[in-house]
Amino acid sequence: MLTRRGAFALALVLAAFAAPASAQNFTKQVTIIVPYAPGGTSDIIARVVGPELSKAIGQPVIVENKPSSSGNIGADFVAKSAPDGHTLLITDAGTLATQPNLVKKLSFDVQKDLVPITLVMFSPYLFAVHPSVPVSTLQELIAYDKANPGKLNVGTSGVGSIQHLTALVIAKKYGLKWGIVPYRGGAAAIRAVVSNESNVIFNGALATQPFVVQNQLKGIAVSGEKRLPAVANLPTFKELDMPIVDTGSWQGFLTSKDTPPAMTARLNAELRKILAQPEIVKKMAELGGEVRTSTPDEFANWLNKAINDWGAVVKAENIQIDG
Amino acid sequence: MDLFTNLATGFAVALTPANLGFCFLGALIGTLVGVLPGIAPITTIAILLPFTFTLPPASSLIMLAGIFYGAQYGGSTTAILVNVPGESSSIITCLDGHQMAKQGRAGPALAIAAIASFFAGTVATVVIATASAPMAALALKFNAPEYFSLMVLGLTGAVVLAHGAPEKAVAMVLIGLLLGLVGIDVNSGAPRMTMDFAGLGDGIGFVPIAIGMFGIAELAVTLGKPQDRKLLAFDWRELWPSKAELRQCTPAMVRGTALGCLLGVLPGGGAALSSFAAYAVEKKSATDPRRFGKGAIEGVAAPEAANNAGAQASFIPLLTLGIPGNAIMALMVGALMIQGIQPGPQVMTSQPQLFWGVIASMWLGNLMLIVLNLPLIGLWVSLLRVPYRLMFPAIVLFCCIGTYSAGNTVFDIWVMLIFSLLGVFFTKVGAEPAPFILGFVLGPLMEENFRRAMYISRGDPLVFVQRPISAVLLALAAILLVILILPVVRKKRDEVFQE
Repeated sequence: MLTRRGAFALALVLAAFAAPASAQNFTKQVTIIVPYAPGGTSDIIARVVGPELSKAIGQPVIVENKPSSSGNIGADFVAKSAPDGHTLLITDAGTLATQPNLVKKLSFDVQKDLVPITLVMFSPYLFAVHPSVPVSTLQELIAYDKANPGKLNVGTSGVGSIQHLTALVIAKKYGLKWGIVPYRGGAAAIRAVVSNESNVIFNGALATQPFVVQNQLKGIAVSGEKRLPAVANLPTFKELDMPIVDTGSWQGFLTSKDTPPAMTARLNAELRKILAQPEIVKKMAELGGEVRTSTPDEFANWLNKAINDWGAVVKAENIQIDG
Repeated sequence: MDLFTNLATGFAVALTPANLGFCFLGALIGTLVGVLPGIAPITTIAILLPFTFTLPPASSLIMLAGIFYGAQYGGSTTAILVNVPGESSSIITCLDGHQMAKQGRAGPALAIAAIASFFAGTVATVVIATASAPMAALALKFNAPEYFSLMVLGLTGAVVLAHGAPEKAVAMVLIGLLLGLVGIDVNSGAPRMTMDFAGLGDGIGFVPIAIGMFGIAELAVTLGKPQDRKLLAFDWRELWPSKAELRQCTPAMVRGTALGCLLGVLPGGGAALSSFAAYAVEKKSATDPRRFGKGAIEGVAAPEAANNAGAQASFIPLLTLGIPGNAIMALMVGALMIQGIQPGPQVMTSQPQLFWGVIASMWLGNLMLIVLNLPLIGLWVSLLRVPYRLMFPAIVLFCCIGTYSAGNTVFDIWVMLIFSLLGVFFTKVGAEPAPFILGFVLGPLMEENFRRAMYISRGDPLVFVQRPISAVLLALAAILLVILILPVVRKKRDEVFQE
């Protein structure tokens, strides 16, 4: 039992903790915009995080899908919404880093019209081939492609996707003649490579890993600087001195420009707390990624670097998509 | 064979309380729409499609499948008692079923319809389970050229087996194909025919088209037809058919089931075609064909077995190859895609719980249906007294809500309304919407796989005939086309549809 004095003291302490947050309280329902159709990674993140966010801020949180145009419609909607931190965008590298470089008449500017809140998830790429391709290292693959031009085809998640750009950059560096075959999303690309329709893939590591472990695909390397425990025998892009070491897929939360920094900070704090919960970390692993959160500034730097890096690739390869 | 392990997996999924519930719900809704003339299972499935998104994939498919085969049971009740087919697949049941009812034998007619349906449902479940294993082995060999050839076969089948003039079916397939191509092209990333409408970037939505063409348009067409609903009474104590009648029916049921299983698998086939064919076979093989049309009980048993077997067998190409054989199966593809599952041969191996769960639920659903239909028949019949003026506005409202909630844009509601008008127009000019929806779903896949196959072969078109499976599929498509063109066969086909 608490004494009356004890209760009073506790109330004071609680009030002291609550005070800084009261400056940026949530006054109405919060909407998370998913710029893709239901069922994709961004959508699932929103639906997993949404209820937790609602508990944390004491307001209802609803998830709204605004699919179309590679995520640009939904992102545009958030960019033009009221700058009060009540409309959030969850999307991926496609909308944030490649579209701005590929689409000339985009109706908003990712860097100017959106404010980053936090990164959510990062998944390095696993570089793998179909087991019938008689190579098991990068050097062997380069030699095989020289001897058999046109035999290798990279299955990618779509035209202008990071997978597509990665395949282009690597082909350029090593003089590879492989074909690049676009599919409707990463899952379709994996399926095609497992069935030997195409035979090379760069795809989210955790989604691709099971196929390598079961020998349905043969691993060559993993992107990033860190080896992966489940496929620890595979060298990293860094070890092999491959280009674009940091290639991979990632998702993040953003909101509209001019949102008060205190609001962004509160959202950042709440989202990071939610993303640290063990069940959420487990759910993200099921989706094929590891939770990777950041401060708004770190995310902003990450975004700028990604847009510049991929911009350079798009320019060098002269990739054009009109739309 | 590990058929039993697979079926055990399936029953483990289907027997969870939630899935039993969805199976029951599907069977119940199916019976309901089956009984009510004017509301087809396809309308219902189209309307419920957006709402299945929140369900787990297996539950969603279990429920939608239940609606489809449940309607085959319900449709016969109306056919027998009112002489109005509740569903297109029970048209043929009117012939002898209603005659039996007029002779005071409504009870046995209803009972034999339910028994035949249950028998066929059980056999069809086993057939699907057995057929899927070899299909799965074949499926692993499917690459872009095979998919392309399969789509060609599917679309050819849609034309050959469509009702009415083949020219119209071809036109409908082509219109569907054209509209299916709207949106960003997967091979080049370029937007096509979007007219700078942002809402068209990902193509015209499947849900608004399906609801418009099959939901609202069908209702409008039904309203245009005069309704004559005279209910015949039947006596409860005379529900059970006599031993002699049962013996008479058994071979008819077996033949009907076999025909249904065969015709259901064909692209464009399904429940209606199977029941017509089964009736024709019974009439031809009977010792006294004159009895047919005057209350012959085989004339009820055979088509009822066939339509149920056909309904379930049409799931075989969908579940094993991801190819929808008819418009309802095309909606099922939509249901899978809403769940983020790309339909195709890999569903069997990557989603065994979904695959076998749906199959096991079919048998459970059939069991529920026989319980639902026989004792509760009085309840279903009383539903026929609900006036359309109350029912239809509610359905239209439901259509709008469903369409909006699928994509959260008002744009989709406009698309739905436009396609409702188009649907009415197509029906009025005698062009079936089914080939349209098949063209819409299969066309883009056909193009995508064609271009992919050409790219991977570096431009060599021979790839389509050098690969054996692809060559066989193309040959089958060619044979179907020849059959369609041959005047003799064509006349025969017209006769079949005339009946």
